[in-house]
Amino acid sequence: MSRGPILVVDDDPAIRRTVAEILAFEAYTVETAPDGAQALQAVERERPGLVLLDMRMPVLDGWGFAQALKERNIALPIVVMTAARDSARWAAEIGAAGHLAKPFDLLDLLAVVERLYGAA
Amino acid sequence: MILVLVVYFVALMGYVAAAFIRAARRSGGVTRRRMRAVSAGCLALGAFILLVPIAGISAGAPWLVSFWTLLEQLCALAAGLAFLLGFAPPGWLRRTWQEPELRAFLGRAASLPRLPDTAAIIEALERSTAAALGVVDATIGLWDGEAGVLRSGSGDRRTDAPPDQFAGGRAFISQRPVFVAGAALTGPAKAGPSRRASDGSALAAPITAGETRLGVLVAHAPHAPIFAEDDLGLLALLAGQAAVILESRALIDQAARMQAREEAARLKDDFLSAAAHDLKTPLTALVAQTQLLERRAQRNPAEPADLASIKAMVGETQRLKRLVLELLDVARAEQGTLVGRRERVDLAALARDACALHATDLHRYTLDAPDRLEGYYDSMRIVQLLDNLLENAAKYSPSGGEVQVRLWLDGDSARLAVKDPGIGIPPSDLPHLFERFHRGSNVDDRRFAGLGLGLHICRGIVEQHGGSIWATSSGSGRGSTFHVALPTGAPIAAPFLAEPPAVAPAVDAPQLALEQAP
Repeated sequence: MSRGPILVVDDDPAIRRTVAEILAFEAYTVETAPDGAQALQAVERERPGLVLLDMRMPVLDGWGFAQALKERNIALPIVVMTAARDSARWAAEIGAAGHLAKPFDLLDLLAVVERLYGAA
Repeated sequence: MILVLVVYFVALMGYVAAAFIRAARRSGGVTRRRMRAVSAGCLALGAFILLVPIAGISAGAPWLVSFWTLLEQLCALAAGLAFLLGFAPPGWLRRTWQEPELRAFLGRAASLPRLPDTAAIIEALERSTAAALGVVDATIGLWDGEAGVLRSGSGDRRTDAPPDQFAGGRAFISQRPVFVAGAALTGPAKAGPSRRASDGSALAAPITAGETRLGVLVAHAPHAPIFAEDDLGLLALLAGQAAVILESRALIDQAARMQAREEAARLKDDFLSAAAHDLKTPLTALVAQTQLLERRAQRNPAEPADLASIKAMVGETQRLKRLVLELLDVARAEQGTLVGRRERVDLAALARDACALHATDLHRYTLDAPDRLEGYYDSMRIVQLLDNLLENAAKYSPSGGEVQVRLWLDGDSARLAVKDPGIGIPPSDLPHLFERFHRGSNVDDRRFAGLGLGLHICRGIVEQHGGSIWATSSGSGRGSTFHVALPTGAPIAAPFLAEPPAVAPAVDAPQLALEQAP
């Protein structure tokens, strides 16, 4: 059974890279994108199995990205990662499967990934 | 003998008429018209007295006698009528006579609530009242319920007095218009606003809107009014209008205060969430990096620590440090202690460095500057200023493009302009751009993270260097330009030049100035 990679979308390069490194260290396959628009291209290209999504991003934000997925009839589990107080509300808004409030714990990140994507 | 009497009475009537005309000119409203009527009556009476002997002398021709007699009787009738109108005018006439002044007052009053502040409204009301009543000046005492005083004037001329010591305060206490003769006004020197307290008199009417006692309107006359009851009536009408105006103004003020409070609360809320976001982002990376490092070390104890991870952590620590310092700078900007030691700084070199540092694939920086442009500045803060403006230019131009940086010398000021092709600034935001926590109304904070502190700190830096900062924009979506003017001179030069050393020849002074402030 082949499944797509985990797509990490965050405009902050340090967060993008670190989350990717953590997942790669646990032997997950990871793709990254700095904004919603490039994330959409990555979705078309890579058909990821899970998206870790920041909400506030330039060009196309998390809401726009989720809307575009819906318009293209692409069903994908999304985990919202945001520093905002209302991360849970935002996650509900876009119908995300989970959310991580920044700064999140490494174990919480791995737990939510395992729940929605499975072990590496 | 009769002739002497006639001359005496005619002269007397002329004098009285003249006196009333003079008094009429100084007064207003019904009083002025009543005085005119009285003076007309005096003139008619004088003419009557004059006509009595004339009719007697010209006894020869009977037609002449009847003519003089007719004239004489007409004069007497005119005098009687004029005195009646002057001394006891009927109510309808009083109202008619009052109307022009009231109309003029209302005409002026219509625009009053739009004046910038209550003090200006009160001043205008006082002027209008004085004009309507034809008195030298009028004063409004506003009731301050907490202090229990009537307050008049503002700034240096502000006086507070409890109602029983305030000139005309009795009208406020009794809630009825009152006439106060000179003697009643004397009291403690600072008791009332009347500058002619001891030798004048005052008319006072309460300013009351419904049940709310707002204050008292006092008209000061140099001497006791002749027809006080009419002036009081008019004053009471004016006070009623003043109450309406002040009450509507109070409502406007209250609405504005409420709006400002809400706005301040909203700004603080926005600031807290933005601060949280900006602090949490580097913290997220830092926490994740350290935990990853720990996990790696646990799993492969023999493997050396990954240098790239450590470098990334150092980077995030620096970012956090910068942010924390920025938050502390806000406090310094408020206190005016942002700028420290100044030294000779080449702005052109700093601008070149900043442009090179900030250039990315998406944003180009073009610099138009002289080879050198020196002044006395806190170089660290100038670097911070340049970084902030250049970063903003890129941040708010999300589609990329060219940021034009211009630096030039304008008189004794260095001028800087940073022009970006970005989202621009709506005109309504321009005046508030540099206020703490302010973020542009066209700035979607989902797309543009920020605390609204950068420009506030920039203004602090520039102003504490004695300069100014402002922005121009053709509007939303049309880019913006930030302008800075920084005096090049060293501030330490000023006191030094003010007291030139006594031994130094006078010709040295300009050279000294050149050295100190190139």
